[in-house]
Amino acid sequence: MVHAPVLAIAVPLLGAFALPLLARLNRRARDLWAAGIAVATLVFGIAVAVQVFASGRPLVYTLGAPSPTASVTEGGFPIRIVLVVDALGAYMGIIALLAGAVGLFYSFQYLVEEEGKTLGTSLLLLLWAGILGLVYTGDLFNFFVFLEITSIAACALIGYRVWEPRPPEAAFKTMVMYTLGGLLVLVSVGILYGEYDALNIAYLSKLITGTLLDKLALGLLLGGLLMKAGAVPAHMWAPDAYGEAPAMAAIVLVANTQAAIYALLRVVFTLFGGALASPGIGWLIASLGTVTVLVAVLMAVVQRHLGRLVAYGAVSQLGYMLLAVGVGVVAAGKGFGEVALKGGIFHMINDLASVGLLFLVVGAIRRAVGSVDLLSLGGLGHTLRWESGFFLLGALALAGIPPLNGFASKFLIYESTFKASPILAAVAVLSSILLLGVGVRAFHGIFLGPKTRDVASSPRGMLVAMGVLAVIIVVFGLFPGFFIERMVSPAVQAILGGRASYLAAVLGG
Amino acid sequence: MRIGSGEGFWSPIVWVILALGVLAIGFAVWLQGRRTYKRGTEQEEPFLSGERLPEGAGVGATHLYWGFAEALKPLLVRLGAFHSGFLGDYVGWLLVLLVISILVVMLG
Repeated sequence: MVHAPVLAIAVPLLGAFALPLLARLNRRARDLWAAGIAVATLVFGIAVAVQVFASGRPLVYTLGAPSPTASVTEGGFPIRIVLVVDALGAYMGIIALLAGAVGLFYSFQYLVEEEGKTLGTSLLLLLWAGILGLVYTGDLFNFFVFLEITSIAACALIGYRVWEPRPPEAAFKTMVMYTLGGLLVLVSVGILYGEYDALNIAYLSKLITGTLLDKLALGLLLGGLLMKAGAVPAHMWAPDAYGEAPAMAAIVLVANTQAAIYALLRVVFTLFGGALASPGIGWLIASLGTVTVLVAVLMAVVQRHLGRLVAYGAVSQLGYMLLAVGVGVVAAGKGFGEVALKGGIFHMINDLASVGLLFLVVGAIRRAVGSVDLLSLGGLGHTLRWESGFFLLGALALAGIPPLNGFASKFLIYESTFKASPILAAVAVLSSILLLGVGVRAFHGIFLGPKTRDVASSPRGMLVAMGVLAVIIVVFGLFPGFFIERMVSPAVQAILGGRASYLAAVLGG
Repeated sequence: MRIGSGEGFWSPIVWVILALGVLAIGFAVWLQGRRTYKRGTEQEEPFLSGERLPEGAGVGATHLYWGFAEALKPLLVRLGAFHSGFLGDYVGWLLVLLVISILVVMLG
């Protein structure tokens, strides 16, 4: 398993391009190929996570070197592309693996042959590969390349159903925003390369001293990554994208957006951690996070389109993560800063499970009824019984109702945020209450009331995919300490105190 | 399996035990009630202030938070206008975010 980090990226990448060729031969072969690619990617990704969590050290893999561990030349200068997976990267990798595997499994019965099943599956694999590359890479230009791969695959996934009017429009808007965000990142990479002649994150981190150009590069990176993380006021692409994407893509898009929050942590704590991580940046991220939570929840209240309603719910959860990251930066070195980061990082996987489950149920409703307009739905609980249970569970978890997983992570975020700013904590709590109202209203509107139509329940494969997320919601809610201790705490330590070990793992010494 | 925040703690298992206790008390109270409910009778009709309701009438999802949405209408109207759907606005707000980010880093 020495080559597991690169194989976890290469397998879905090559698998995505080979899939349309296999589909030309035989559809069954195509599905088997996709399933095989998914299993192989899961095996390699889990192998990476096990190695990192078991050893407690970052895993370094060098491409094009005599040995995968030779990350620097004889002169001590890193010229090769390296993959560096620390506990944070491994944790984010697990989130990406979960999203990709569940999305792919769901898509087998959700996607219809006549509506681009081959294209949708290919793009899903491509997006999966891009996210894994983005979180595993230790090279800044490579990071930009994977950012672009995710952007192109995500926009194509949102808009490939060109026979419908809204998806292409949503894809176009998302593409423009992603392109601008990507340009900001590229200019920033260019500034740092021009200044230091290096692209290796660890090596750059060692050299960055906090010059005016460094500050400009950090500002550009923050702008681009905050936009991609769905922070208000540059969040407007997110409801368009999530709301119009096919259900199996929406859950992977959530993981893709969370990868931007991972990148934010990597940039602030690892790349610029030695020179420029100031409380001002933390307050900026925390304030934007709080405004994002409030604005997204208020917009969710007035939505009629069920997809957009869940999409605004998803944006609000991104706000909670940004709030936690911001408090973590403000209080770096203090106990409650660590608690905030634990809450924020734990909330990533909780959010993926609850929002992902809601998106999958919305997909099931769209498939069964043909509409996601709240005013035209009602009484579906008589026939879509599993789906109604899953929706209620997801909505309650999203609102942070105990004992579900959303409460455990929000508890840590609320308590730590209160120490930094009681006002921000109060807004965060109030927004959760509003979110409960949004969920109750949606559940009532979709599933309760007299039976108005006969619809067929979802195929078993789709229900199993939803069931996996439901189990995660309950298990992570009942045993949060188990997962925080084994996965979240190492990830927090990797960013708070692990910069030195990250640099040492890549550069030696 | 509890988690601590430094100030307090959260134990889902304790919460579940307490919740089951509350449910048991609620069930015991329910058992004391009158057993006059009959399925398939007019007792199953919705009761809204004693009014005779037309067939299929009910409380819609939008009615549940009508008062809430009405109270927040001025804010929601402004937020709706803010989310115009025009790509030019999206780009404009990205520029605002970018300028704020650069200023905070430069001054921070």
